[in-house]
Amino acid sequence: MNTFFKKSLIVFTAIASLLTLPAFAQETVKVGMSGRYFPFTFSKLDKLQGFEVDLWNEIAERSDYKVEFVTSSFSGLFGMLEAGHIDTISNQITMTEARLAQYAFTSPYVVDGVQVVVRRGRDDINGIEDLKGKKVAVNLGSNFEQVLRRFDVNNEINIITYDSGLEQDVALGRMDAFVMDRVSSTQLIQKSGLPLQLAGQPFETIENGMPFLNKPSQIVIRDQVNKVLAEMQADGKLAEISNTWFGSDITQ
Amino acid sequence: MQSSFDLQYIIELMPILLKYLGVTMEMALWGFLFALILSLSLALIRVFKIAVIQHFAALFISFFRGTPLLVQLFILYYGLPQFMPIFIGMDAFTAAVIGLSLHFSAYMAESIRAAILGIDKSQMEACLSLGMTRLQAMKRIILPQASRVATPSLMNYFIDMIKSTSLAFTLGVAEIMAKAQMEASSSFKFFESFLAVALIYWAVVLIFTRLQHLLERRLNKAY
Repeated sequence: MNTFFKKSLIVFTAIASLLTLPAFAQETVKVGMSGRYFPFTFSKLDKLQGFEVDLWNEIAERSDYKVEFVTSSFSGLFGMLEAGHIDTISNQITMTEARLAQYAFTSPYVVDGVQVVVRRGRDDINGIEDLKGKKVAVNLGSNFEQVLRRFDVNNEINIITYDSGLEQDVALGRMDAFVMDRVSSTQLIQKSGLPLQLAGQPFETIENGMPFLNKPSQIVIRDQVNKVLAEMQADGKLAEISNTWFGSDITQ
Repeated sequence: MQSSFDLQYIIELMPILLKYLGVTMEMALWGFLFALILSLSLALIRVFKIAVIQHFAALFISFFRGTPLLVQLFILYYGLPQFMPIFIGMDAFTAAVIGLSLHFSAYMAESIRAAILGIDKSQMEACLSLGMTRLQAMKRIILPQASRVATPSLMNYFIDMIKSTSLAFTLGVAEIMAKAQMEASSSFKFFESFLAVALIYWAVVLIFTRLQHLLERRLNKAY
């Protein structure tokens, strides 16, 4: 019993010392992403890849920072940012007014529109006006929920939030539609082979950037990233990365 | 288009997922070790009715049994760092282990307490009459018997804990559930991915159920 007690004390001390390790090593930027947003950030055969990953590898190449990718479910990313577990989120974060008030964003690196997607063959839904009385899926923690609610002043849309797999439920017919940005909707339909189609034209322009905490130490990193982004925009590298993943330039 | 079941994909995915089984098991084993230590202390505090602390123990158990594990993990990992900067340094794995051990210790403390109370109190009286202290009696006579009674339900909690580690993805721990979700998001083979991960959990639990039988047989030898 005594040796057991000693052993557990050693183990406890080991864990306690783990707790007090410094938060970040110098010069490393921790970039949070879901790893579940094809083709921006996803894992295939155990390799994290996608538009965001290529982008940050290039940013690292052109700056003094090393990049460490941290994957977590999307709904947890902002919590990690607030708690200081990561420096920024690279997951197509839309620069909404509320977020702009709270965070120091980089300049927008993707410009897009909001899109309604339905099961293939449905012709009763052709845009946001037709969603009244329908069951509509959005990703938990994404801004598409607010976009819908702003439009849906009389609470006529049945909005249901998903942590993952919303495309599956629309394809299965459990949901009438989902709402996402146009670029990833197109990709999703193409790659998944699920029976889905875009419903009508996109509405609202959305600009996506990377949020940093509003603190001097973080703004230094933000400014450095902005500088590199501007360079990449100027010499065409940003467009090139976009073309690899989307076959078009979604960055302006 | 109805997609057809892809067995080949499951076979491909298995070795990838198994690489991360280590993280899952490490979380469960550390979590269980600390939960065991903590729950035994809590149970003894309550059995001995130690002044003042017993009320804290009761409050602790009430809180950690009364709130969902996911909420506790979020408080620990996302909430506390906002008020206590020291918690920023805590990585997601550590937070998950701490969360699991706090949560499960609350349940396990009650199991252990019940097992101790289940030993006839005449045994304690006999020990005291022989001049043992209450702590000695507990260590030498009561706990060895209580551990036999408590083993099945404690193993139950361990199995539950193995499965609960899947919540750690919400903190960013790359364990097998996280990998299954991430692979599914690029292959769109949801059924196959989650079936693969379910089979792994199931196999692990079967192994530990077997170990539990062996352990119980050993503990029952004297009876």
